[in-house]
Amino acid sequence: MSRPAAAARRTHKGEYIETDTGNKISRKSHIDGKQHIMLGGRTVVMAGVQMRGDLCRVAEKSSDGGAEKEGPTTAIAVGSVDVEIMVQRGTIISTNSVLRPPMRLSRGQMTCYPMRMGDNIFIGPGSHISAASISSHVYIGANCVLSPFCVIKESCKILPNTVVPPHMIVPPGSIVAGRPGRIIGEVGDGWGQGGGGGEGEEWVEGGDLRPLVRSIK
Amino acid sequence: MAAPWANTYYACPCSELSAAAPPNVSNGGTPLELPGSFDNGEEGSTFDPHNPRANYSLYPLDNLLYCDECDAIRCPRCWIEEVINWYCPSCMFEVPTSAIKSDGNRCSRNCYNCPLCTSPLTISSVASPRPVEDSLKPSDAARPQESYLLQCQYCDWTSLDVGIQLDRPTKITEQLVRLRKSKDTKTDPISVSNREETFNNLTNFYKEELQGSTESQTPFGNSPYNSPANLARIMSLYGGVSHTALKKSREKPQPMREASSHSQGLLVYTADKSDAEEEILQRLKELGWNGTTTGEQRQMAPVNNDARFLGQLWPVATALRTRRGRRCRSCRQFLTRPDPKMGSIRYKIRLLALNFIPRLSLKPLNAIPPPSNPAFRLTLDDSPQPLLQPFTPLQYVLTIRNPIFEKIKVSLATPDTTPGKVASKVTILCPSFDVGPAGDIWDEALGSSTTTPSAANDGGRKAAMASLTGSTTDTDRQPEAGKIWEKTRNSTSVILEIVPGSLKPPSRIVTLTKQEREEQAPRQDDDRLEIAVYVRVQWETHEEGPEAGLGKRDAERKMPSGEAKVAKELAYWCVLDVGKIADV
Repeated sequence: MSRPAAAARRTHKGEYIETDTGNKISRKSHIDGKQHIMLGGRTVVMAGVQMRGDLCRVAEKSSDGGAEKEGPTTAIAVGSVDVEIMVQRGTIISTNSVLRPPMRLSRGQMTCYPMRMGDNIFIGPGSHISAASISSHVYIGANCVLSPFCVIKESCKILPNTVVPPHMIVPPGSIVAGRPGRIIGEVGDGWGQGGGGGEGEEWVEGGDLRPLVRSIK
Repeated sequence: MAAPWANTYYACPCSELSAAAPPNVSNGGTPLELPGSFDNGEEGSTFDPHNPRANYSLYPLDNLLYCDECDAIRCPRCWIEEVINWYCPSCMFEVPTSAIKSDGNRCSRNCYNCPLCTSPLTISSVASPRPVEDSLKPSDAARPQESYLLQCQYCDWTSLDVGIQLDRPTKITEQLVRLRKSKDTKTDPISVSNREETFNNLTNFYKEELQGSTESQTPFGNSPYNSPANLARIMSLYGGVSHTALKKSREKPQPMREASSHSQGLLVYTADKSDAEEEILQRLKELGWNGTTTGEQRQMAPVNNDARFLGQLWPVATALRTRRGRRCRSCRQFLTRPDPKMGSIRYKIRLLALNFIPRLSLKPLNAIPPPSNPAFRLTLDDSPQPLLQPFTPLQYVLTIRNPIFEKIKVSLATPDTTPGKVASKVTILCPSFDVGPAGDIWDEALGSSTTTPSAANDGGRKAAMASLTGSTTDTDRQPEAGKIWEKTRNSTSVILEIVPGSLKPPSRIVTLTKQEREEQAPRQDDDRLEIAVYVRVQWETHEEGPEAGLGKRDAERKMPSGEAKVAKELAYWCVLDVGKIADV
């Protein structure tokens, strides 16, 4: 308590940079290839998060004459940017998670593929995400590994410490657990419903996460 | 851990265990008069959350449904499920019911799972030395013969391990069936077709026997199949014999002949496979325990049921999944009905319990910082929940939130000491109170003039003082017996006093016998302090129409007929998880 000044100055500056669209990016996050990352707004990127936007698809070099040839465009063409990681509203990426677009060998070349994420996704701390797509209202627990090219559909719950195997497609409303991840059940019919309670219970798993985004400062 | 009120579980009153109402209310409240519908249960027993059977009736609120015809909570035990459609979870294609009946419940497209680890298999081409010019050829040019394999990217199992190599990357199922057949004929002298033929012979033989049953004496006196009744049962299971034939056989209970030749379907077991068995033993010695399959791997698919070694495991076709609607077991109305269109996650009908029954949530009073939601851990190094110290009184705020548009009257009851080994004392300071109706936020804004004074009255003198002085920070407020702690538009909070018991049994001078000691040894989760609260809700609702009232049970219509209001009530057990008790 003898030197409160330094701490006070730090809190004054704030841990998060807030953008016009309401994104909150921690100053302690590591984001590479910003021009390839698109955040839809009201998204929280917490401390220690790594986002590898630099792992984007590069223009392919055809092997005959060495002439530059435009590779096939990404599936999502939002504006003119080559979007690698696309995150939408109300998504929270907790501390020390790694987001890394999936890649695979294609015709002898390592090719990266875009990663798409929907709204209201919660990614627990320490997770390693390499999924091809994550749909809306998905809850991912702590320390999960989403292996390359897995697809998580809407309203799924990935329990903590799960390893979702590569190329696995998780159908909507499933609960996944284990190493390798298996579908162990279905979420209740009220998944994501029933938010809007009192203080501290406005948000539920799979529900609207905007209050939680608002509460993170 | 499904929701912020994850520490609350609701018991569906459909089982005897959870329907039992508390014998009396020992918490200073008014004694509950038991509703008529509940006294058929085991009276005098309170709900014990540590009972092993309690697990089967406790659900998080978002897993429960509510039947608005029967006015009752519905849990998986009291709803019936109805398959809306079948689909493959891997390729997300809907499979028509006719295909299920003919082809079985596995994906007949290209979806396969690893037989070792259940991960999905991917099709990749076998790496073969190819000249570089290949890629320059036009795509329709004749290509050298390529072969493909199924590969698990999780555990690196490939179909080459069991000698499967495919010619095309499409129509996997067809190719696999062909490979399987050729493999079966190779390893088994009695081919599959031969087996089928034998089975047909045998069924024909038994059918004839059942029809005629001319012979009265058989040489096989002690065979289990010689009695017609037994045989008829087996035939009805496997043969599909007509009902009249069955009847006939019942009329003439005579012993029957058994199949005696191959033309009649007799297949004699030949024990001349001793060298094969020797080989198996030899392989067992070589491969050891790690080379054999586990029970789980064998049971995963019928195709692997007989696989003894890892090298015999066949890729497993992905099992289909269903989307189901749920109906109330007593009135058969739909409780949930998903949109039949595949890929849609909408519901056509969805009667969720959380829209009908009051929701309870418990949080510590004066907790600083405010309790964080355990489901949303943002950092890994969040400190775990602090343990509860035995014999230290704790105060909790129990909030009851009303989801319906009527004002409800709530009575709470709980045994004053928790059942089970660890006796903790629980007191609800205000066991019966009203909760206002839910509605739009606009209602609150417009009707603020009516709600505010009542809230101030309920809060007592302190609250009145607070409203006079204008200070909202009533940190010095003390919980009072019989007083509501806090009240908002559709929620009311009361104070719960808890004195956690000790995990250790009270010390005794007399030494315990072994059996007594075993009884007193703490079991798993005995240190978890869980409070069962019996919630009884009463409300009045307007009669929607004459036919709506007729459908309801008479027991719920207690109001005089002159009024158009119907009194309703609902009672259920609710388990609040407080935390773990420290072992000191």
